[in-house]
Amino acid sequence: MTILWLLVGVVVGALLAAVWFRRAATRLETPVVDTESDGRRRNEQLELQSARIQSALDALPIGVIVADADAKIVVRNRASDDAGGNTHSEVLVQAAVQHHLRAAVRGEERSQTVELYGPPRRLVIVHAKPLGANGAVATIEDITERSRVDSVRTDFVANISHELKTPIGALAVLAETLIDESDPSVISRLAGKTVNEAHRVAKIIDDLLELSRIELSGELVLAPCNVASLVAEASSRNSYAAEQRKVEVQVCEIPKDLVLSADHVQLASALGNLVDNAVKYSEVGGRVTLAAFPENDGVTFVVTDSGIGIPTHDLDRIFERFYRVDRARARGTGGTGLGLSIVRHVTSNHGGAVTVESREGEGSTFRLHIPDRPAPVSPEDIKPHETSHAR
Amino acid sequence: MTMNELRKTFHHELDDVRAELVHLAAFVTEAIPRATNILLTGDLEGADYIISGDDEIDARALDLEDRCVQILALQAPVAGDLRQILAAIRMIAEVERSADLVCNICKAARRIYGHQLDPSLRGIITRMGEQAQQLYIAAIEAFVENDAAKAAAIDDMDNFLDALQKQFVQAIFESHSAGNIDLQVAVQLAVVARFYERIGDHAVNIGERVRYVVTGWMPEHKGAARYRAGTDDTGRTVRPPMADESDATSADGSRDSADHDHDHDHGSV
Repeated sequence: MTILWLLVGVVVGALLAAVWFRRAATRLETPVVDTESDGRRRNEQLELQSARIQSALDALPIGVIVADADAKIVVRNRASDDAGGNTHSEVLVQAAVQHHLRAAVRGEERSQTVELYGPPRRLVIVHAKPLGANGAVATIEDITERSRVDSVRTDFVANISHELKTPIGALAVLAETLIDESDPSVISRLAGKTVNEAHRVAKIIDDLLELSRIELSGELVLAPCNVASLVAEASSRNSYAAEQRKVEVQVCEIPKDLVLSADHVQLASALGNLVDNAVKYSEVGGRVTLAAFPENDGVTFVVTDSGIGIPTHDLDRIFERFYRVDRARARGTGGTGLGLSIVRHVTSNHGGAVTVESREGEGSTFRLHIPDRPAPVSPEDIKPHETSHAR
Repeated sequence: MTMNELRKTFHHELDDVRAELVHLAAFVTEAIPRATNILLTGDLEGADYIISGDDEIDARALDLEDRCVQILALQAPVAGDLRQILAAIRMIAEVERSADLVCNICKAARRIYGHQLDPSLRGIITRMGEQAQQLYIAAIEAFVENDAAKAAAIDDMDNFLDALQKQFVQAIFESHSAGNIDLQVAVQLAVVARFYERIGDHAVNIGERVRYVVTGWMPEHKGAARYRAGTDDTGRTVRPPMADESDATSADGSRDSADHDHDHDHGSV
């Protein structure tokens, strides 16, 4: 009996021990399992957060590069990968970033404007800032467009005051000289010059008014325009100047039935200005060619000259108001500096595009693409046998 | 340090050398259109900036060369790695010399300051500048991408630059005859054309070194093989072959392929 109780005691004891051990094991195991899942969850959250931050960085228009305390790059966004625009510019920008990051991890805040001749020509600002013990961050910002707009604004003020003040100043001086002059031949010569300067001011004012009209006119007066007639009009408008400079204006064959829905007055003005420019900047005895053809649901007008051409660095700016490639020459040609600006506005009003290809000494080619848009036709204008526009 | 760690260090150093070489070449590529602009606009301040910047290029080129020599001495690279280092040493010299030529263009800009150039001359200068830069861009890309085909194309691109140089010299004569530029300016412009043409030649040389790194072959090998065989470019024997070189000749000759069928010709005035 005693032995039996002893055995029962041992078994119960063993069972209790087993239960205790199991509970202990369960108690030990449960926290381990919890820590693992928590850790996994935390990792997932971290990854999610990291991906979210990376996406946010990638969405930024500026390049962002983060370096650790050893100046080793640990994070960079998408915009920072193509900051230069081409291989060699990219190398130079990244070298500047590395250079400034090294300084920033030492605690120095750095900034540098990197001017890249490209092509394409770009202006970027590299800025590096220390992050204490966490390293440093660098940003790459492309300020090409901002810089261009700034220089357009600054140059515009300088150019307009020059263009308006020069003839008015000349008029004042001529008038003062005339007051004291008694020699009829000198008076005649000075009066002639006065008239020329007055015409020059009048032309500038006319062009300014035309440009304002084009800029401010809300709706285009769209009507079917015969393309061949438009081109012929632009050519004949400049025939006198062409004759004076012995420049041959050649009009390529244009289908008689080619019709474009456009604002006739504006388009004629734009084409006239392009031909005027081509004639003015052609060498004596040169040739200007005019062509027009249907292209991409519209009509492309091409004006080609064999003139002096435009320097590459001026090509982006010739459509600005009063912008002059060469002031000395511009005074001689008698232009107002507004012609190409008018062309750009007319094109923009029509939803088209104007491009230029030019090489100094070889001439220039201007392409004016005007998309064909159906003219708004009022019901009383509709006749049974007529369509709003035709080709 | 284990052998693996040594290799890792070596390749890290090699990558650094390549990156620094690309950086130097990028400087030159960027400086070419700058110099052209300086020449055409008479930008004296810009000219000074480029000229004073040449010392930095020289210093960096010398540092880089020292690093290459150190790698040669300490790591004793072989095969492709050895070719990389040897080619880099040669390329550093090409890049450094090109930077000097860019400076020379800026110095010429100072000398012709105030003289008006005909549009035709300005147009050809622009074209030469663009073409010289294109050659350098192609050389950098070929080097970065280890692209032997792109490197081989640089030679053809250089022919266009050579043709432009000849056209420019003709335009100088015409402009001088018309009385638009004086003799001093004409001479300076002719020298400028030569500078652009030489920059193009250096880009071609870089391309050849890239081909050497990738394939172990350069266009000069073909001419050397002909010389050893005593033949001219039509295969006609013009003199006795060099002693003990006939084997090498046939070996080299057999490596000539369709795209290696003409030697590189550095254009000249």
